[in-house]
Amino acid sequence: MAVVTRPLRRSWISHDLVVSTVTVVTIITAWTVVTTVFRVSPLILPSPRAMGDELGTLLAVGYAGKPLYVHVVASILRSLTGLLAGIALAIPIGLAMGYHRTVSAALVPVFGFFRPIPPIAFIPLMILWFGIGELSKILLIFAASFNYTVLNSAAGMRAVPEQLIRKGRNLGLTRRQLFTSVMLPAAMPHIFTGVKTSTAVSWAIVVAAELIAAQEGLGFIIQDAGTFFRITDVFFGILIIGLIGISLELVISLIERRTLHWQGK
Amino acid sequence: MGKIVVRDVSKTFASGGRQDTTVQALDKVNLEIGDQEIVCLVGPSGCGKSTLLNMLAGFEAPTTGDIRVGDVEVRDAGPDRIVVFQTPALFPWMTVRDNIAFGPRKRGVPERRCVEDAVRYMHAMELDDFGGHYPYQLSGGMRQRVQIASALVNRPDVLLMDEPFVALDFQTRLGMQELLLQIWDEFHPTILFITHDVEEAVFLADRLYVMTRRPGRIKEEIAVPFAKPRTFGIVTTPSFVAIKERVLHLIREELAPAGRRGSIPGRIPS
Repeated sequence: MAVVTRPLRRSWISHDLVVSTVTVVTIITAWTVVTTVFRVSPLILPSPRAMGDELGTLLAVGYAGKPLYVHVVASILRSLTGLLAGIALAIPIGLAMGYHRTVSAALVPVFGFFRPIPPIAFIPLMILWFGIGELSKILLIFAASFNYTVLNSAAGMRAVPEQLIRKGRNLGLTRRQLFTSVMLPAAMPHIFTGVKTSTAVSWAIVVAAELIAAQEGLGFIIQDAGTFFRITDVFFGILIIGLIGISLELVISLIERRTLHWQGK
Repeated sequence: MGKIVVRDVSKTFASGGRQDTTVQALDKVNLEIGDQEIVCLVGPSGCGKSTLLNMLAGFEAPTTGDIRVGDVEVRDAGPDRIVVFQTPALFPWMTVRDNIAFGPRKRGVPERRCVEDAVRYMHAMELDDFGGHYPYQLSGGMRQRVQIASALVNRPDVLLMDEPFVALDFQTRLGMQELLLQIWDEFHPTILFITHDVEEAVFLADRLYVMTRRPGRIKEEIAVPFAKPRTFGIVTTPSFVAIKERVLHLIREELAPAGRRGSIPGRIPS
């Protein structure tokens, strides 16, 4: 029966992997060709070879007196703290909004108002209210992750099929059982979509947050290197942010495929 | 235990959009189903059969009139009146086995019995090899069989079945009809069975009610005097055919009058 889809999907993954690899190789080749053939100044676009040399330096002496990993870990920790706090608060509030019309009506104007505003618009206020330390950075990430997960959790709760609720009531479930055993699992795909978006956003925001007078972090490297015209390091900052972003997404997709495979996608 | 009495039940819905327009789905329906009796409800589409079933299940409340099951007024849904929905109501995140064991488990039935019963009803529905499968891995017909198993495992006093076999292929359907009668033989539930299929209705029912078109009323009550257990051989007997013809005739009377019916326009004269 549907068992047939397994080998089919596996062959698709390897097919996708080949195509994706071709793309990456093509880009690096084009990059090399452009920088060597046209002799582009390394102040505009450093060649892959120059990047390689700089990687050696970065790994050996680090950046701004701190080893490279300190910058990476600093960014990841900020992002993760804000993200986890954000979704930990967003999921229960979102579920309550989806469950109770009154809660939803009370909170929708607040979250609906903040959602379309780019989080970086709040940077000046964050500095004004919470200073230039860790708190303002983490709060910014927190607010951004909260916003996406809260709305998706509420939508997930509202999207629970009426038939499943009826079935649960029919089987004699208590209100509590109905919530924990029927509505919550049924809402999981939506909640997960929210968490996924929040994760991506929190990683994107950390760089913006680190533009606020940070002393370490990938955002700091980009900011600092830009100021001192160390363009290769600017590119490195961008490269590392991108690679970690992709890894995050892969990890989350893997968790999703493991836990929410029952959606049959 | 499973006696059902429906007295003067009407149901009116607000029909969306403007609040002042309403649709009357049922108009003073009266019916009785004896304990352990199998009663089929037939009638044209949109006559309110499912609405009546939903009210018996306790999903909706009648606008007027009252419904009693086992001499208790129906106020909420409960496991004494198990519903088999028209489309497979399964929890997609649970395996077939867990879907079937879910109801008893949540009501605190000992785990060992839950598992044993799940295995038994999987076997009855020919799902033995699929206990570990998830609903998305099954065909539509198999999903419906899982749902039927997940209903029967509760051994309810009353089974409310809303066109449960409509999505099954013809052979499976015949098998399921015989199986339903076997299961009835096992614990004698009272069964209300909604169907469009007149042959199915006559085959299963001790008694059947034909409804009018909307607003639904009971048009006629017909007794089906064949002894149980029944086998499929009876469907060609003259008395079976006579009842079937009578029911078909009653349903045809409920089609919209010829003048109001849609028709294929004739050739436009040139």
